[in-house]
Amino acid sequence: MEFELVIIGGGPAGLMAALTAAEKGVKTAIVEESFALGGQLRQQAQVLENLPKEFGKQSGIALAKFFSNKVSSIGVTALLGHTMIGTYRNGTIGVSNGKDTFPIYAKKILVTTGAAEQAALFPGWTLPGVMTIGAAQILLNRERVLPGKEAVVLGCNSISYDIAKQLRACGVNVQGIIEKKSIDEIDKELIEKFESENIEVFFHSNIEKAAGKQHVEKVWIDNDVLKKEREIDLVCISNGLYPVTEPLELLDCEFTYIENLGGRIPKYGSSFTTSNSSVYVAGNAAGITCIEGILVTASIAVTGILEDLAILNNIEAKKQKEILWTELLKAETGRYSKVHDARISLVNDFLPKEI
Amino acid sequence: MDKSTIVCKCEEINIDEIETALKAGACQFDDIKRLTRCGMGPCQSKVCTNMVREIIAAYTGEPMEHIEYPKNRMPIKITRLGVLVANQETSSVVSVFKESVSEVDTNG
Amino acid sequence: MDKYVDIAIIGSGVVGSSIAYHLSESRQKEIIVIDKGFPLSGTSGSTQAWVWVHNKSPSWYGELSMYSAELYPFLEKKIGDVEYKRTGGIAPFFDEEDREKALKLAEKQAEVGIKVEVLNRNQVLEKEPVLSSKIAGATYSSIDGNVNPFRLVELYIKAAKKNDVKFSFYNPVIDIKKESGFFRITTKNEGTYTAEKIILAGGPWTKELGSFLGIDIPVKQVRGQILVTEPLAPLFRHTIAGMRQTDNGEVLIGYSKEEVGYDRRTTMEVIQDTAKMAVDYIPALANANLVRSFSGVRVIPEDGFPIVGEISNIKNAYLAVMHSGVTLSPLVGTLMAELLLEGETSIDLGRLSLDRFEKKSNGAVVQ
Ligand SMILES: Cc1cc2nc3c(=O)[nH]c(=O)nc-3n(C[C@H](O)[C@H](O)[C@H](O)COP(=O)(O)OP(=O)(O)OC[C@H]3O[C@@H](n4cnc5c(N)ncnc54)[C@H](O)[C@@H]3O)c2cc1C
Ligand SMILES: Cc1cc2nc3c(=O)[nH]c(=O)nc-3n(C[C@H](O)[C@H](O)[C@H](O)COP(=O)(O)OP(=O)(O)OC[C@H]3O[C@@H](n4cnc5c(N)ncnc54)[C@H](O)[C@@H]3O)c2cc1C
Ligand code: FES
Repeated sequence: MEFELVIIGGGPAGLMAALTAAEKGVKTAIVEESFALGGQLRQQAQVLENLPKEFGKQSGIALAKFFSNKVSSIGVTALLGHTMIGTYRNGTIGVSNGKDTFPIYAKKILVTTGAAEQAALFPGWTLPGVMTIGAAQILLNRERVLPGKEAVVLGCNSISYDIAKQLRACGVNVQGIIEKKSIDEIDKELIEKFESENIEVFFHSNIEKAAGKQHVEKVWIDNDVLKKEREIDLVCISNGLYPVTEPLELLDCEFTYIENLGGRIPKYGSSFTTSNSSVYVAGNAAGITCIEGILVTASIAVTGILEDLAILNNIEAKKQKEILWTELLKAETGRYSKVHDARISLVNDFLPKEI
Repeated sequence: MDKSTIVCKCEEINIDEIETALKAGACQFDDIKRLTRCGMGPCQSKVCTNMVREIIAAYTGEPMEHIEYPKNRMPIKITRLGVLVANQETSSVVSVFKESVSEVDTNG
Repeated sequence: MDKYVDIAIIGSGVVGSSIAYHLSESRQKEIIVIDKGFPLSGTSGSTQAWVWVHNKSPSWYGELSMYSAELYPFLEKKIGDVEYKRTGGIAPFFDEEDREKALKLAEKQAEVGIKVEVLNRNQVLEKEPVLSSKIAGATYSSIDGNVNPFRLVELYIKAAKKNDVKFSFYNPVIDIKKESGFFRITTKNEGTYTAEKIILAGGPWTKELGSFLGIDIPVKQVRGQILVTEPLAPLFRHTIAGMRQTDNGEVLIGYSKEEVGYDRRTTMEVIQDTAKMAVDYIPALANANLVRSFSGVRVIPEDGFPIVGEISNIKNAYLAVMHSGVTLSPLVGTLMAELLLEGETSIDLGRLSLDRFEKKSNGAVVQ
């Protein structure tokens, strides 16, 4: 198999990129390990507020559908159930579809493998009933199964807000949110959101341990003031996300460490080119950000790819990138301004190499 | 925290075992891995990487950014051998026997 | 800060650690082992770890391997359980034409006391029913086996520490000089050590260590990629030339060879070729899951045989560099201890001297 552009990961970043590239006539394939497109959008039932104008307001699930329909109508080859498992000697990617393993040749590779959830360590974290937000979302929104009746959620962030609300809506009693940080370290807007929903947040607290026989039955919340023992049957962990970067490692991209982008992160330049000049990165794999940021980074990467493939000339590309970086700045404000600052310094550090 | 708390789910390695490796002088993930098997399980340390790194950071007093990640190894996802060889007709891997009956032997 | 020791060993892989342990048994000398990383970060942590004898040729080399394999049970009594298992080794062949060669090998090995049987298909399948019925036959010997290399190195070091050997890890040696009869060893993190005797056991980096002393050590680096399956129920008992099953059920597969310098990446080409080898040998492995692959860099002296002993023009400087160091470590440790403490060895090391390579360039025949 041979393509001009191969995209690893069919989440929002990969899909956005595939659409944009295919519109310009680039022969594009998406390699996606699951059997549906959409990535993490596929279990996000909440309405995504700040999507770029052209998408209006819709849920993650709806957006995933919209993207997959569009992608198949525009002639992108979607290789579902295909996983990139390694690289050949010359850097060609190796893909397996569960029956066979083969190389896929590409002029350019875009890695949009998204993010994974960080587990949290406390005695009892491996008990059934203790699960990540993602697992709870899948049970709730995809498989339509209630993950429990009495819950606590670890981590006060926008993702835990969404899940707390959804759990509530399905009749789960959310006893509270447990947050390590103090109240002044958390975004005010977010705290107000929890307040308006009447969801209690225990700041400066941690789960000391969880216990139960076959399944989690109790947690002990360790707090400077209150020490609380709670009877629950569900502990949801929202301990942050980190970029999924294995394909980039195997493609010999250089890495650095930036806390505000999620930890270990590939080095990239203003077109999201990595140190391996035929490999690009976008979406959460390029640093954990908001959904708008995810989509815009994908557009920037594609602009870079089009320029590299000589489909866009330098001037057009430059103009377009300027517009997109302004959009990215707009998307990454408020809570995400730290992400943007980190990104800018990453890109600036990369500059000398790009010449 | 209770030292018997499991950190690496796949290999059932607890905090105490990791700290024992640290006390033996190992202070990077891959070195601890070879001593304890921590991170060698089916998930290939996807789940335990950062938790182990935090334990290393706490023990050594180094900031997290100095604590190395385990080396990533192929395959990215578990793959059946049969799937790897579906289209393989030959193999470049020589046989030990063939080599031993040729002139010079470099076994193992 | 200058520290004085009697003996400094550079490299704490299976070779350096074994030498340190064996030297320490008599507790006569002050010893330090310096390693740039943590033990097992080199080749000893990325090996198949067969204790393999029966295919080693010519037979004098097989004989050395056999002596070493025979030391393992005693070693375990001294340093603890290194999971040494004398499983017996099977080296299959697929062409009936190879039987002739197999018989010749058996004959040669018999001369030095290595008992090699040549099996036919039925005999192979009787020993290991999972092996492919396409196999024509195999050479077999009960002396072969395998060991857990992680435990082995860990326990060598533990035992040496008990005997007061000092270890310095994550501390690269960046220069070695000989001044007024003593070696001055400059390290990156702990200043300089002064030593009366020095042993270079740097595995694939030994060439670099040699260059500090102005000598060329003729070794090449040969990468090997190994596949590791998920833990499986006991599938086969023997060490099969190409694979072994560990105590926890993982099958380690691989025998690839590539000269690519010190590059420890794995590649899909070799992973697929190795998987093919595995399935050709044991068809049932087609259903096993591959969990990970790793690669190690063999250090192989140019003629294939170990280089062990004193460097003839640098008094008190010793070399211990070899392929099959796991198999050979008990013997090499024992001989090096004899050499450094008593000045002579129970087995003549002449054949293993670095000098043989110079002779070669003079046109003399080696072996
Ligand atoms: C569990 C979870 C829950 C989340 N919930 C929310 C939420 O409620 N609200 C919110 O705003 N954001 C949420 N996020 C953030 C989420 O990451 C983004 O919303 C968005 O989906 C990220 O887009 P992406 O395209 O970068 O990656 P993803 O959407 O993660 O897509 C990556 C895709 O790559 C595929 N892939 C990975 N590796 C390979 C490989 N080797 N070969 C082939 N395919 C591969 C994956 O199967 C996946 O489909 C959540 C994230 C996670 C992990
Ligand atoms: C794929 C593969 C399969 C193998 N299978 C077998 C087998 O089945 N049976 C068998 O017997 N053998 C086998 N071998 C060979 C065996 O593993 C090696 O011979 C053995 O591990 C070599 O040990 P070593 O101590 O010499 O080297 P290493 O383990 O590499 O140790 C050398 C040490 O020196 C240190 N060092 C180097 N330079 C410096 C410096 N400047 N300063 C400080 N420290 C330094 C390194 O950090 C390292 O720890 C295999 C090898 C490979 C690669
Ligand atoms: S949790 Fe450690 S390897 Fe899977």
